[in-house]
Amino acid sequence: MHLKYESQLREPLVNGKKTYHDVTEDIVRPIEAKPSKLWYIGFYIAVALLLFGIYSVYRDVTYGIGQWNLNKTVGWGWDITNFVWWVGIGHAGTLISAILLLFRQGWRTGVNRAAEAMTIFAVMCAGQFPIWHMGRVWMGFFVLPYPNTRGPLWVNFNSPLLWDVFAISTYFTVSLLFWYSGLLPDLATVRDRAKTKLRKYLYGVASFGWNGSTKHWQRHESLSLVLAGLSAPLVLSVHTIVSFDFATSVIPGWHTTIFPPYFVAGAIFSGFAMVQTLLLIVRKVFAMEDYITIGHIEAMNKVIVLTGSIVGCAYLTELFMAFYSQNKYEGYAFFYSRANFFSPYGWAYWGMMTCNVLSPQIFWFKKLRRNLFVTFFMSVIVNIGMWFERFVIIVTSIYRDYLPSSWTVYYSPSIWEIGFYVGTFGLFFTCFFLFAKYFPVIAIAEIKHVLKTSGESFKESVDNIEKQSAAEFAHEYAH
Amino acid sequence: MASSIKEQFEIPSKLKTWAYALIGVGLLAFIVGFITKGRGTEEEQAQFIGIIMYNTIFWTLVCNAAMFFVCIHTLAWSGWQQVFRRIPEAISTLVPIFGSITLVLLLYIVFSGNHHIYHWLDTKAVEGDAILKGKSGFLNAKFFVIWTVLTLGLWSLLGWRMRKLSSEADQASMNNESGKTYVWKNTVTASLFIVWFGLTVGSTIHWFWLMSLDAHWYSTMYSWYNFASTFVSGISLITLWVIYLKNKGYLEYTNQEHLHDLGKYIFAFSIFWAYLWFAQYMLIWYSNQPEETIYFKHRVQGPYKGIFFLNLIINFVCPILILMKRSVKRNYTLMTFMAVLILFGHWIDFYLEVMGTISKEHVTLGWLDFGILSLFVGLMILFVAKALASKPLVAKYDPFLKESIVHHT
Amino acid sequence: MAKKKFVVGCYDDEAVLFSAVKKIRTAGYKIKDVYTPFPVHGLDHALGMRETSIHTAGFIYGITGTTTALSCMSWILASDWPLNIGGKPHFALPAWIPITFELTVLFAAVGMVYTFCYLCQLAPFVKKHHFHPRATDDLFVMVIECTEKTNTEDLQAFVKNAGAVEVNVQVAEEGWWFGRYDKNEMPFEQKIVAA
Repeated sequence: MHLKYESQLREPLVNGKKTYHDVTEDIVRPIEAKPSKLWYIGFYIAVALLLFGIYSVYRDVTYGIGQWNLNKTVGWGWDITNFVWWVGIGHAGTLISAILLLFRQGWRTGVNRAAEAMTIFAVMCAGQFPIWHMGRVWMGFFVLPYPNTRGPLWVNFNSPLLWDVFAISTYFTVSLLFWYSGLLPDLATVRDRAKTKLRKYLYGVASFGWNGSTKHWQRHESLSLVLAGLSAPLVLSVHTIVSFDFATSVIPGWHTTIFPPYFVAGAIFSGFAMVQTLLLIVRKVFAMEDYITIGHIEAMNKVIVLTGSIVGCAYLTELFMAFYSQNKYEGYAFFYSRANFFSPYGWAYWGMMTCNVLSPQIFWFKKLRRNLFVTFFMSVIVNIGMWFERFVIIVTSIYRDYLPSSWTVYYSPSIWEIGFYVGTFGLFFTCFFLFAKYFPVIAIAEIKHVLKTSGESFKESVDNIEKQSAAEFAHEYAH
Repeated sequence: MASSIKEQFEIPSKLKTWAYALIGVGLLAFIVGFITKGRGTEEEQAQFIGIIMYNTIFWTLVCNAAMFFVCIHTLAWSGWQQVFRRIPEAISTLVPIFGSITLVLLLYIVFSGNHHIYHWLDTKAVEGDAILKGKSGFLNAKFFVIWTVLTLGLWSLLGWRMRKLSSEADQASMNNESGKTYVWKNTVTASLFIVWFGLTVGSTIHWFWLMSLDAHWYSTMYSWYNFASTFVSGISLITLWVIYLKNKGYLEYTNQEHLHDLGKYIFAFSIFWAYLWFAQYMLIWYSNQPEETIYFKHRVQGPYKGIFFLNLIINFVCPILILMKRSVKRNYTLMTFMAVLILFGHWIDFYLEVMGTISKEHVTLGWLDFGILSLFVGLMILFVAKALASKPLVAKYDPFLKESIVHHT
Repeated sequence: MAKKKFVVGCYDDEAVLFSAVKKIRTAGYKIKDVYTPFPVHGLDHALGMRETSIHTAGFIYGITGTTTALSCMSWILASDWPLNIGGKPHFALPAWIPITFELTVLFAAVGMVYTFCYLCQLAPFVKKHHFHPRATDDLFVMVIECTEKTNTEDLQAFVKNAGAVEVNVQVAEEGWWFGRYDKNEMPFEQKIVAA
């Protein structure tokens, strides 16, 4: 057995001197207890929003998407903005579970399960927009390549919109598999503690008969690692393909080669903000402060300031290239339609700049990174900013296109466009509330795995190791 | 026992001989090149300068990538790389040296009056060209020189400061309190470096040095693409030195586990490079706008076709297929081979970027390219070895060193 | 499927577990398995298990996905129904890379998860005998297979000596069956009785 050691300079990842059994108790307790009043209030609000969304969508189908305020040039409005926004949010879950696993960031164990769940729900929300945007949604299966009686007329594999179909469905499938295979051992833990028959039965079915065999664990670890290795480029590819929806066209402000990595950075940025929003609530409501520590929050704030700055670098690069290329149309899109505060959408551009690039810079300061209120406030600000980013990209680029005769002065959404958007919030939070109630919100097995390296009591036990010189230490423990 | 640990690197005479031999070959190539090409037509002169140019820029950026490696690991509080951290530090000592060569060369280009390389320096041509005229707010000699000096200066300064801070970990044992202070000081300098790195390598400096070779062409991805290229080369260079020192019996704490992680880095960033390559190429291919496709036209369809695809094979296909296996990443011989291959691959990439523009019609890859390369490799070996010998190879009081010793993939 | 007799020893500390595994294996007993609440690194080697090759399966699924995507798209757009799309060549490789990549990942991930479930015999409604309910909580449960010659008393004492906090003997079905967790049953027993 290898020495489990971590420098005492690092904060404990699990506070409160827990034993393995304490970990199980703390994390499973919310599942076994009756939900609190707060949970019910939140859940009902979420369901109400969902119902409003369902009604808006019902109108979209019966009346048609003509009820949206899209017009001649702004053929892509809120709908596609929301789609990209939700997909972006989803990305942080995969990033936490996959890329941080590959980078061996110990702190991911406290937050990965909830973040992965968030990914799945966010992708579900995102998927609604292209589906209902089809209008005649019963023809939806036309996007699938299958031999048909229309020629056979195949789908266009050269179109980024079709790439999206493949990307989003693959992403959803893989995230679901990754999430669920990680959940199996934890569901087994809940099953083996269950007191009521129904719970034992249901968790028994859900945990696939997991028993913790060493061989199974060995395969499970290998599976997680490969799935992480696959998900890491997958998450890049998904937002890359989303960015291709824009960048492959020659519309000013859209056709720019930096879009793929810049969209990915933006996605991670907004996703981490959403994870912060959710986890700050979860740790409070379910008393998980020992597992989602201030250290976790701080680490995520560091990711936010990093990705926010990368996004800022990309914004400035685009702006610079609009000048450098000396392309009239690019120049118009960037300097007239966007950066000019007094143009009809200037406020959106500057709102985006403020929320995404300027305000996250406060996280350079440790005090602010570790302040829960500031973090919560910023996480909301960032998500507003990232919504505006997509809105700016879409609307400011097309409301004044190459043909001035079709320019429109203003585009504002109808109540049903807003209703649809609000409805996806309902869907997202309904799912998340149910998840938080019926599933372990923290990966139990993974916390136990790091407990003896990073748990508070175990950190204290390495006092004597810390005093050893490197040579003595190496002599004793190096392999 | 502790005293038998080889903490201090002594430069083997064989290594010195090799370094001097390579430098000798390089200088000879330089002189012969100067006589045959450097005094010829403007085009030949441009070729001669171009060859030195892509070499010096490539090596400056690769050595600076080593400091980037140090800084990101400092910021991430990473422990695993402590056992060999002195190697990227030593490589980064070359930034001021190669940086000076780059600076001298760029100053020469700006003031020599040969406008074959930077077309936008030709004031007469710019007057008659609306696009270049529009760009002159950015592309002008004054700004170019100031920004280059500032860039190289700050890279060197912040790198020097990082290395100096690292020496503190040689002095005395640290407790929790002083360990935190030490990490804090490192963090501050590292963040300054990263910010400046983002403003230069992440954006401006590639526009100035490389993209402006083709002054009409532009691509927003360009800088990030070159960053990926030089970063993966930087890691390969670090790997090579790690393996070399390990073979010579130094770095006793470094083992296959660390090599494995370096291998993963090379694997991952080769894929990342390919991703950026593809994103840039595909978007330009797809929209098919003449002002953008001009960059790829003669590279894909013209005389550079072979090198263009070779570049992809070496830098993407080889690493993804070979480095996928765990046993390869833990094998010293194969990792040496891959590191050399990737360094060569990205050197070819720089060749393609610079010479593909300067000499559009003919592929000139030949003795002069390899001669100048040998000059830079020789200098690199000599100065890295000297830097390594000037300090203990392991900062034995670093607070994260023990984590690195028991590091396990 | 048949029932067998097992000696079960439960440990509450990894360090003790590792030394116990070593002692019991050197003594010549056959450890069927150790059930742990979380992956214990190095335990598979200590038990003498070979490395899993599930990732190789993943690689094979992956390249199956790559070839499926590329062959389908090239057949459809270059041979079955060639269309002029934006003046691009019929064989428009750069435009097919995204879908090729997605299918590679999809095939690899789905294939691997199915393979994993198949190898570990995991599925909804599958039930196995669980030697200790706390194996998914905080106990490391070591299960030693008994033969006719095994003296269970001695073995129990030996396991106890090696640091176990709880020792017992269980007769249990080895494999899996379709069952529910809210009921205690071991179906193969009846079959044996009936035979």
